[in-house]
Amino acid sequence: MREIIGRYGTALAGLTLIVFFVAFAPNFATTMNIVNVLKDTSFLAILAIGFTLALIVSELDLSIAEVASLSAVVTGWLIQGQQHPALAVTAGLLVGLLCGAANGYGVTVLRVPSLIMTLGIAAIAKGFAFMITQGVAFVGRWPTGFTGLARGYSFGIPNLVLWLTAVTLLTYGLIKWTRTGAHMVATGEADEAARLSGIATARMKRIGLLLTGLCAGITAVLLAANLSSAAPNMAGDYLLYAIAAVLLGMTMFEPGKPNIPGTVFAALVLKVLGNGLVLMGAAYYVQDIVLGVIIIGSVAFSASALKKAAFKV
Amino acid sequence: MTATPLLSLRGIGKAYGPVVAVREVDLDIFAGEVVAICGDNGAGKSSLIKVISGAEEATSGTLQMRGKEVIFASPHDALSHGVATIYQDLALAPRLSIAQNVFMGSELTRPLLLPFLRVLDKKRMAQEARGFLKQLSVTVEDMDRPVERLSGGQRQAVAISRALRWKAEIIIMDEPTAALGVKETALVLDLIRRLKADGRTVLLISHNMRDVVALADRVVIMGAGRKYVDQALGDLTADDLSHMIMAGNARAA
Repeated sequence: MREIIGRYGTALAGLTLIVFFVAFAPNFATTMNIVNVLKDTSFLAILAIGFTLALIVSELDLSIAEVASLSAVVTGWLIQGQQHPALAVTAGLLVGLLCGAANGYGVTVLRVPSLIMTLGIAAIAKGFAFMITQGVAFVGRWPTGFTGLARGYSFGIPNLVLWLTAVTLLTYGLIKWTRTGAHMVATGEADEAARLSGIATARMKRIGLLLTGLCAGITAVLLAANLSSAAPNMAGDYLLYAIAAVLLGMTMFEPGKPNIPGTVFAALVLKVLGNGLVLMGAAYYVQDIVLGVIIIGSVAFSASALKKAAFKV
Repeated sequence: MTATPLLSLRGIGKAYGPVVAVREVDLDIFAGEVVAICGDNGAGKSSLIKVISGAEEATSGTLQMRGKEVIFASPHDALSHGVATIYQDLALAPRLSIAQNVFMGSELTRPLLLPFLRVLDKKRMAQEARGFLKQLSVTVEDMDRPVERLSGGQRQAVAISRALRWKAEIIIMDEPTAALGVKETALVLDLIRRLKADGRTVLLISHNMRDVVALADRVVIMGAGRKYVDQALGDLTADDLSHMIMAGNARAA
């Protein structure tokens, strides 16, 4: 029983929250609102999956939001300049990969702690984003071939939800079912043990951070496509939300461990919470306060779940 | 002895900057032996072990396996030559399962749909991990159980299973009983006897002379980075060994 509560307790609480809003928040349960919440969740969840991958190899990536902004700006810049959408998207993803590679290089070769390295990259990315845009946003009537990536539907399902599904399944498969994934997990759980078992731990850290950058790039392209615009600070708010999703996710399914299903479900819960609060008439700043409480509470809770797992069975 | 040693050290030295931890050590290890390496703190045992296990490269000297020179630039090199080390702190990942720990770094995979797409074969890993533990007479049912929920002796068994998984011929054990209670120690001594009966070679680093007397065929005593005793255990008692170590310290001082 204790095990079940540890694994599914907060997930059930999240589910209860959704049921609560369905019952009591005006207009929550309309198709349009639910689709909007799901679309909104997709950006956050993909970015948070990125943060999860970094945390799985036991590194922090605090650059994800600024890197996403830079990727979006580069993508928007090329779209604005009438380049082919495929080229713009590729460039956006490459920016994410490049920043991820830089983080990995800094952490494993220069041996700068990821907390510092990724803050540095965040500042650099921010600087470049403002340099490219000169401080203003790229806005325009962008080709549907590009905006459709986020706004379109396939098989009656919003493309954004399909992108999220794809990223979730691929990363989950990687972590749970491949050797590389097992090596990443071992590296994050016990760096020295993994190294002594013949695992190339530095490489695993680089892979983790590289994929984090890629997730930031994917999020950026989808954000730009959805808004038909790209601003140098467009993803700024996402960092704290992504961290909250990952930490809340760590209280679910595999308590104490960063895990993909937890992150995705927690992202959904956070977006439902924000949406529900607004619909029930709460002021916009209430969200921030709740977010802070969730971040602190998750860590306090999952640390205690850890202790339970270790000593009480 | 006329047989070719399984592992030979020739003139091995290890320095950390100006600090010399190991000086000119020659050592031959023959197949099937249990060799105990003893010495006081700072005698150079751990540094010597790190060189043999590939954790650190020697500053001088050579290693030979079956008469052929080898270079252990990483733990992986040593493992692939059949030399596995079980460290004092065990080098296990506490929150990962028994199976994940046994197969850490050498996971089994199976093809999935496409020829180049290989996924973890979790079922076979659990099966084989159970087999290794059984071979060591340790019965734990659930291979998904995190290692942190096992007893100290069981953890040693998991660590040894990893060495078995690498098909290690030489198993180096660094203070295997240091952190254990009486009952757990008995279990671990039994594990080492089993390894020996199985024909494996064990290099045992220990502070506990009773363990050494109980298990070793040969004792090597180090002091101040040098090897100064290398002889069959014979009738030596734990007290004799302690005296020899202290005599070595006196000489080194």
